[in-house]
Amino acid sequence: MSTWTRREDERLLSGRGRYVADIQVPGCLDAAFVRSRVAHGTLRDVDCAAARQVPGVVGAWSAADLHDLPPCAHATADLPDLPPMPHTVLANLSSDEAVAGREWPVLVKDRVRYPGEAVAVVLGEDRYRAEDGAAEVTVRIDPLPAVVTPEAALDDTVRLFEGLSNVALEGSTGQPVDESVWQHAAAVVEGRYRQALLLPTPMECRTLLAVPDGDRLTVWSGHQAPHRLRRELAAALGWPAERIRVVVPDTGGAFGSKSASFPEYVAVAFLAVRLGRPVRWIEDRLESMLVATRGRGQDQRVRLAADADGRLLAYELHIDADVGAYPHIGAGLPMQTAWMATGPYTTPRVHATLRSVLTNTMTTYPYRGPGRAEATMALERSMDTLADRLGIDPAELRRRNLIPPDRFPYETPTGRRYDSGNYAAALDLALESLGYDAWRAEQARRRADPHALPLGIGLSCYVERSGGEPGGLHEFGSLEVGEDGVITARCGAASSGQSHETVLPALVAASLGVDADRVRLVDGDTGEQADGVGSFASRTAQVSGALLSHLSALLADEARDRAAKLWDLPPETVRWSGGTVHGPHDGAPAMDLAALVRATGPLRVDDRFESAMAFPFGTHAAVAEVDPELGTVRVLRLVTVDDCGVVLDPAVVHAQAFGSAVQGLGQALYEGMCFDDDGVPVLTDGLLDYLLPTAAEVPPFVGRDTCTPSPATRLGAKGAGESGCIGTPAAVVNAVADALRPADRDVLQLPLTPERVWRAAR
Amino acid sequence: MKITLTVNATDYPLDVEPRRILADVLREDCRLTGTHLGCEHGVCGACTVLVDGEAVRSCLMLAVQCDGRSVRTVEGLAGADGGPHPLQRAFSAEHALQCGFCTPGFLMLAAGALDADPDLAEHPERVDSLVGSNLCRCTGYAPIRRAILRAAEEQQRLDLQA
Ligand code: FES
Ligand code: FES
Repeated sequence: MSTWTRREDERLLSGRGRYVADIQVPGCLDAAFVRSRVAHGTLRDVDCAAARQVPGVVGAWSAADLHDLPPCAHATADLPDLPPMPHTVLANLSSDEAVAGREWPVLVKDRVRYPGEAVAVVLGEDRYRAEDGAAEVTVRIDPLPAVVTPEAALDDTVRLFEGLSNVALEGSTGQPVDESVWQHAAAVVEGRYRQALLLPTPMECRTLLAVPDGDRLTVWSGHQAPHRLRRELAAALGWPAERIRVVVPDTGGAFGSKSASFPEYVAVAFLAVRLGRPVRWIEDRLESMLVATRGRGQDQRVRLAADADGRLLAYELHIDADVGAYPHIGAGLPMQTAWMATGPYTTPRVHATLRSVLTNTMTTYPYRGPGRAEATMALERSMDTLADRLGIDPAELRRRNLIPPDRFPYETPTGRRYDSGNYAAALDLALESLGYDAWRAEQARRRADPHALPLGIGLSCYVERSGGEPGGLHEFGSLEVGEDGVITARCGAASSGQSHETVLPALVAASLGVDADRVRLVDGDTGEQADGVGSFASRTAQVSGALLSHLSALLADEARDRAAKLWDLPPETVRWSGGTVHGPHDGAPAMDLAALVRATGPLRVDDRFESAMAFPFGTHAAVAEVDPELGTVRVLRLVTVDDCGVVLDPAVVHAQAFGSAVQGLGQALYEGMCFDDDGVPVLTDGLLDYLLPTAAEVPPFVGRDTCTPSPATRLGAKGAGESGCIGTPAAVVNAVADALRPADRDVLQLPLTPERVWRAAR
Repeated sequence: MKITLTVNATDYPLDVEPRRILADVLREDCRLTGTHLGCEHGVCGACTVLVDGEAVRSCLMLAVQCDGRSVRTVEGLAGADGGPHPLQRAFSAEHALQCGFCTPGFLMLAAGALDADPDLAEHPERVDSLVGSNLCRCTGYAPIRRAILRAAEEQQRLDLQA
């Protein structure tokens, strides 16, 4: 057996990984940005003169110094993962005329709209020099009142863009529910849920290194979608994309946060070209906390109705989404929540409405499970409230309403077509793995004992969407065989820790019937692979995997054709097995791939392969013990049952599912940002101000899965890796609510800080 | 300021500004980029290296403080036979890394503990507090904990045999 489980491991375990900050380019300059200390204000003056005198500083510029610095690439128009907006909204959000007026400048021109927005950039011979220079830049900003929540921004008394509403987008799915349904229902529950703004916090912050060479530019970036980055940088620079090569080396995590281009990227690429020198920006943690993209950020209002037997009659969800200062991808994400509002239930009437509201915060972007995590939280919290109201066990209430296996494909009232599922099987496995009945007995015991700490059990049944949206469900790639028989697979994916180098060659090898050692993967490089879509929306196994499986079939066909010509046989008589072409009978000629290439010339197949959306699902369950005096929560047990269809590499998927669940735990209990009275995030203690889960918070855990293949995708695979962020938070919150049974469950808003839990326990 | 760092048993005579942190000097002056920077203010532990055998956060130490001292980084990690260190093998076997960015910090933290504490395998609570002192956003920590215990057990077996 090899020493290494994954191909990535040897270099990453011996210090020979190569992240952007590790790349040494002679003469490279470091960029440091001068940032606004206020959330909202009018920029009066930026003076870089003193910075330019600092030894080692090569240049310092404000927007006024760089009149032709292009605005940040407007990403929404052709982003595959952006939900396709209803037509009028598309015109308002994604057309160039609509964004004109809400343009996101690379450096602030006249108005600061989020704290930390960059007002100047300084280049130095190293980061120390660049920061020395940045410290000398003087900035004068007249503060304006800041609006940092949708609630505050909605009435437009403070506008981010003169003459334009703060509401950047309105949308809906499903049909309005008739008032009589609510009036005649046996039970109607309501809830208000605040989904906090989260920091994705990959351990490597954002990075970009731009190296010009003549009329070309090579860009290295820790990124999920190098072709998108190339396209957007090309648009920003006004260049044809062919003149830019984007390479993604080792990337230290992303979780959705590294899929776009950002003002700093454009500034760095622009200055590198303008100066004809390599320039890099290695974001530091404080910058990241201040100005990297946020996830979630929704204020939700729901109504859920059922008959006396607990059969769901109607569900209504309204979202006011905090999309930050500029209407980019985040403005469309709430549509994802609206589309997924139906969840795993047969609810006949579902209506979701939303407003995407601009606020004086950094822009909202995808974070692991975007849109779907918010949908699950709203629905699953409401299910528990309903169970409580009806006096029905929460597991039983769910079981009565789950979409049964024979109803697939299932058209939801909110416009989704679920591909496949056995939702009840996942629920049952979760209950069994948890020991549900035993924990209910323990709960009853504690409720009878005034000295025992209250204990609660929380369930969360989820269904999510993987692969992306129509228009972005394809991937490009190729397989090429060398004269040595080595097969090189190329595709548009880019790994930020998902083991592509291990999993994808193994898939190609299995498809071709050859040893995995013979297959290598090249991804994350626009110089190697002309077109590509990328790795987001849990799409790599499902979409790139399908592409590589398809290419393997093409390769085998091509090999058979060539052998048939060579041997002068009808092609259908030539067989392919184990990487070798065989004639029709024993004793007929046979030739392995390497020999075939030597005999017939280079062998390469290229294609674009279209996949489909898929809908992974599962049930997560948590047991929590609460100390009502301290407001602390101890998770005694966490069970996840996930179904992502056919799994390519179980160990890799389980590892991601577990990591994802721990992030989900953070989302429920710890992670959130504090703002001061002027709307500036409080970061006095740096990374300690944002409570990431540590090992001490990891509960006893059982991870299981069921397998319901997707009939819609070539391999039967659905996306994996986001499940924990989608399913776990609601399970944990429901467990706490079940322990405390507060009269007003809305007191339990995320994250469940000791103070909130303590209040709920009063 | 002229200093000499002994990194992984190699002497590096250097001329460094006093303000430069050890991590930057290791990465840029010694070109040992295996030590990563995840926060640069002492919270994440990605930058952990051993200075005279003791785990330190190299973003919180100035290089000049290490003049004449011996530094071990992930590049110097190896098993007794020159092959992979038991920790490296165990991390791989347990899927204790995904993106690998936090990994050098956890490895060096654990390597220091293994050297200092031959009984580590018998004290899982000590492993807990080790793992609890660094941040990883990918793995959820349990695989890292299992990997460190696994390596500690292997080391204990080897010690018994020896
Ligand atoms: S980089 Fe040193 S502790 Fe985070
Ligand atoms: S493996 Fe990615 S941060 Fe630990």
